[in-house]
Amino acid sequence: MTVAVRLAGFWGTVPRPLKIVVSRLFMLVPQLFGVMMVTFLLVRLLPGDPALLLLGNMATPDTIAAFRERLGLDLPIWDQFLRYVWNALHGDLGTSIFTSQPVVSDLLERAPATLELITYAMALTILIGVTLAIVSVVRPGGAVDIGSRIYGLAAGAIPDFWIGLLLIYFFFYMLGWAAAPFGRIDTFVTPPPAVTGFYTLDSLIAGNPQAFFSSVGRLVLPVLTLAIVNAGALMKMTKTVFADVYRSDFIRHARASGLPERTIRRIALRNCLPPIITLVGFMVGFLLGAAVLVETIFSWGGLGQYAVQAVVNSDYPALQGFVLVAATFILVVYTVVDILYELADPRIRV
Amino acid sequence: MRAPNAAPLLAVDNLSVDFGEGSPKALSGVSFELRRDEVLGIVGETGAGKSVLARSLLDLLPEGGRIVEGDIRLDGASVLGLSETEQGKLRGARIALIGTNAKALLDPVATVGAQIARVLRAHRACGRREAWAAAVDLLAQVGIVNPERRAKAYPHELSGGMAQRVVIAMAMVANPDIVLADDATLGLDATIQVQVLDLLVKRCRELGAGVVLITHDLGIIAHYCDRVAIMKGGRIFELGEVGRFLEGPRDDYSRTLLDAARVRPTPMAGQGEGGGVTDEAHAKPLLDVRRLEKFFPIAGSTEVVRAIDDVSFSVGRGETLALVGESGSGKTTVGQCLVRLLECDGGGITFDGVDITDMPAKEFRPLRRRLQMVFQEPYVALNPRWPVRALIAEPLRLDPGLDAKGREHRVRQLLDLVHLPLSLAEAYPHELTAGEQKRIGIARALATGPDFVVFDEPTTALDIRVRAQIIDLVRDLQAEIGMSALFITHDLNSVRSLAHNVAVMRHGKIVEYGETEAIFAHPTQDYTRMLLSAELPIEQGLLQRDRAEARRLAGTA
Amino acid sequence: MRATFTRYLSRHPGAVIGLVLLGLQVIAILFAPWLTSYSPVEADPLASLEPPSLAHWFGTDVSGMDIYARVIYATRINLLISLTAVAVAFVIGVPVGLLIGFYRGGLSSLVMRVFDFIQSFPIFVLGMALVSVMGQEIWNVSIVLAVLFIPMFARVIRAEVLSLRERPFVAAARCSGATDFSIMFRHILPNALTPAIVQISISVGLAILLTAGLSFVGAGVRMPTPEWGLMVSSGAQQMILGVWWVSLFPGLAIVIAVLSFALIGDMAKDLSDPTTRDRR
Repeated sequence: MTVAVRLAGFWGTVPRPLKIVVSRLFMLVPQLFGVMMVTFLLVRLLPGDPALLLLGNMATPDTIAAFRERLGLDLPIWDQFLRYVWNALHGDLGTSIFTSQPVVSDLLERAPATLELITYAMALTILIGVTLAIVSVVRPGGAVDIGSRIYGLAAGAIPDFWIGLLLIYFFFYMLGWAAAPFGRIDTFVTPPPAVTGFYTLDSLIAGNPQAFFSSVGRLVLPVLTLAIVNAGALMKMTKTVFADVYRSDFIRHARASGLPERTIRRIALRNCLPPIITLVGFMVGFLLGAAVLVETIFSWGGLGQYAVQAVVNSDYPALQGFVLVAATFILVVYTVVDILYELADPRIRV
Repeated sequence: MRAPNAAPLLAVDNLSVDFGEGSPKALSGVSFELRRDEVLGIVGETGAGKSVLARSLLDLLPEGGRIVEGDIRLDGASVLGLSETEQGKLRGARIALIGTNAKALLDPVATVGAQIARVLRAHRACGRREAWAAAVDLLAQVGIVNPERRAKAYPHELSGGMAQRVVIAMAMVANPDIVLADDATLGLDATIQVQVLDLLVKRCRELGAGVVLITHDLGIIAHYCDRVAIMKGGRIFELGEVGRFLEGPRDDYSRTLLDAARVRPTPMAGQGEGGGVTDEAHAKPLLDVRRLEKFFPIAGSTEVVRAIDDVSFSVGRGETLALVGESGSGKTTVGQCLVRLLECDGGGITFDGVDITDMPAKEFRPLRRRLQMVFQEPYVALNPRWPVRALIAEPLRLDPGLDAKGREHRVRQLLDLVHLPLSLAEAYPHELTAGEQKRIGIARALATGPDFVVFDEPTTALDIRVRAQIIDLVRDLQAEIGMSALFITHDLNSVRSLAHNVAVMRHGKIVEYGETEAIFAHPTQDYTRMLLSAELPIEQGLLQRDRAEARRLAGTA
Repeated sequence: MRATFTRYLSRHPGAVIGLVLLGLQVIAILFAPWLTSYSPVEADPLASLEPPSLAHWFGTDVSGMDIYARVIYATRINLLISLTAVAVAFVIGVPVGLLIGFYRGGLSSLVMRVFDFIQSFPIFVLGMALVSVMGQEIWNVSIVLAVLFIPMFARVIRAEVLSLRERPFVAAARCSGATDFSIMFRHILPNALTPAIVQISISVGLAILLTAGLSFVGAGVRMPTPEWGLMVSSGAQQMILGVWWVSLFPGLAIVIAVLSFALIGDMAKDLSDPTTRDRR
């Protein structure tokens, strides 16, 4: 009891930002546990023997027996789950049937490609979405407002894989402006040594302009594809949020107090920050899903394409590993988003 | 007393505003002048055009609004046609606006000190640190205790009264010539309202600024203003000295307003049906509340808020008890416990001899026919998806003897009872005025012919005439039906008109309890005296105003 | 009511467009055999990759199947999958959301946790994994989408219920003798439905896009089923070579379908709420 009281007292003295970070990180643990449970049960949904499915049709009776032993398939389901968690925490997600490599090393190898794609796409999405939203709220009825309304409607209805193909047709086939949709860098260019895993950054670090321009060129179309579709959704949601704030009483009062329009716009934007942070967090989730499609079109060689391969080849260990990594990544993003949200809004009680 | 200046500070000349071609005029031909060191009151009901007037003075009309005619002159120079930048230099610097609901006027994610400093820096070239120091200084001037710490607070950490002081500080930043206060104290407790208005008028007198006090409360006019303008439908109907206006308005509409704001005589106990009740029945009250307690847990703590703390009272047949107190005193919680919207944590409630404290919900349901409640905010207490007919019919389902036809008939009777036309039966709540919504709420409560009705803030946020109509309606109903009622309110004026007895609540306890007349005439508790002194009855307006003026002057000396 | 509707349409051209586009799809579903003489699944190796012509309005694909016929017949498959999924999700999600919003307790928060887990997965990724695990059949796609959408409906309704249950009109209804059942279904549900209706139109659109996306990556229905995403995918390789028609037309069909539901969703939202019904 006294320990609890002392702990509570200590917690009271912790500065607010630290409190937010610690309590959020603490919540991550049960969430991760839940995610692992879902990925574990995913494969258990399969009709048939999991050992056979996870090993593929190359399995011999010996390997099957060894595998059953390792996963504890004869044990109660709860023990099996604990083993799965134990293995996962030790970096063992099984072996890919298709590549015959450990799933973990497959995923690590491909993750930077996807991250690079998502990062740039997210940046462009935010730039387009937020700018359009602000302009159309500040100048209602203007060309941008009307244009963005039509764009918002259209963007929500256009399949990303289709727009990607159209972009390839126009900018690669017809006009010849864009780089070929085959991977992250031209075949005759040697990829820069991996530091961050992002070709654009690594080529700058290595001082290799050829690799830099090649990788940027290859990024243009896939990033554009993702941004066109997702910026529409972000714009619509940001517009609603920003319009609410922009017409609120305190903005009107700021104007009546004689604050310049520029300051007023900044104040309004600052007030929209918490909801926009949340929206951006959700968008990352969307983008990861969309990346699966876009990577396929552009032969990107990232996690998404790996997942598609796994599906097509019934490579269940790879699929299971990918789902776990994707969900964990999203969980981490959501946690960061929650932390930023609470930091940005002083009204949230910690 | 004060020497009139030659050129008026502000002259509004034949001002007309509309919202687009062919739309009805929001303002038509409004003319008035404001001198230095003068408080001009503008009074009118919802839709009179008061706020449009205030916002047109700042050239901040709502979207679509435009000035179609007339002129606004500041110190003799027209301000119409100024560029946006020039307007910006006027706003906040020469004309400052103080609006309603201060908490909504402040940026929720910036500290109040930063917000004041922001306005300061928009009007005066000064550094960050200097502006911050000035902001802290201003907070001190508007009577905020511990200004250095409060400057670092966010708006959600302030009380309504304190937020209003911050808004006043923001308005005073650049020593404006004119202060527009648009219903600046709406929704504040009476004691806070008086403090805020005292402060506002005092500060403006010190600066020699002219004040336009826009309100719908004639009490405020009587107590704070030099001159008054009565507005209705975008026109000024009467404009003159407050004293003369209170003695006898020239215009018919102004007279109606003034009459509506006056107190009605206290109702006689046991009127109507209740008149025949014997002493014995009186001895046994209809509702008896003994040592009632209700606690709310505080989030993240083992402590509790004692919302109701050992409260006892009783209401006899045909009697009305008023429960008065400021917001947070626990009076609404008492009402909710009586109709079992909340379960109490201690004590007992006896209704007509039956203990209803711990009665299971199923058993209590039939009793709801006899124990009803009229809810505070008329609009939100009506399901927006239901037409009036269905809303009034809902409680009638409690009466098993009524079939669909009988309910239909009763709905019509009830609409008639609350003086609403039958044509409203198919209307939805959003199509009704606030007064009509309130009447629907009353009709719902009276539908089952209850013996006891809890009225939660029946007169709050209503226009002067509507408020008077509701008070008259309730008085009639008391006389006709002889029902007993508990009146939960902070509107002391309506208490005088409606209640036989008064209980004054503070911090969950009843501090004073007795007959209305006696308590108003001779309050025994300091808190009651403070509440009463914060009331602004128009009857004693002039007298008290001179006294208050003396007090304010003494305060500045 | 009808007068209100016509007046609404005259003021909202978007709603008219939505209805027209929906009409096109209904016609395609009902009269597919009369709209084309080609079979949607019959290959003609001699007529591979023919550009649009009078004989083949939208051209032919690699195996020589008529694209126009396939686009028309695919309407049935795509809308069947999407509408079934959303209907199932609505019918299960709304009551669940209502219950877990109205009765707060251990069970309610447990259900919410489960939804949290489901939604912490990127929707397309989880959909892909589930369909692949369950088998790539039309009904499995539908079921998986329904499972993914149930938490969305439940969440939307729950959020509404949580705020509605604290509204004074609910307390007022209780005072007027309304029972739990009556409060839930007669007071709260009608007020909570507007966002659920918006959610329907969003979900149908999302379902169409997801179904097509799944088939596109080869995780949905299989050839030769006429399905829009599958058709776009079958033309993907040729797009780089300048053969545009194989992917263009099924993609347009997807756009039309999603757009029509978005526009109709806006209309349904306005019309379902008496406070906005008559507003200009």
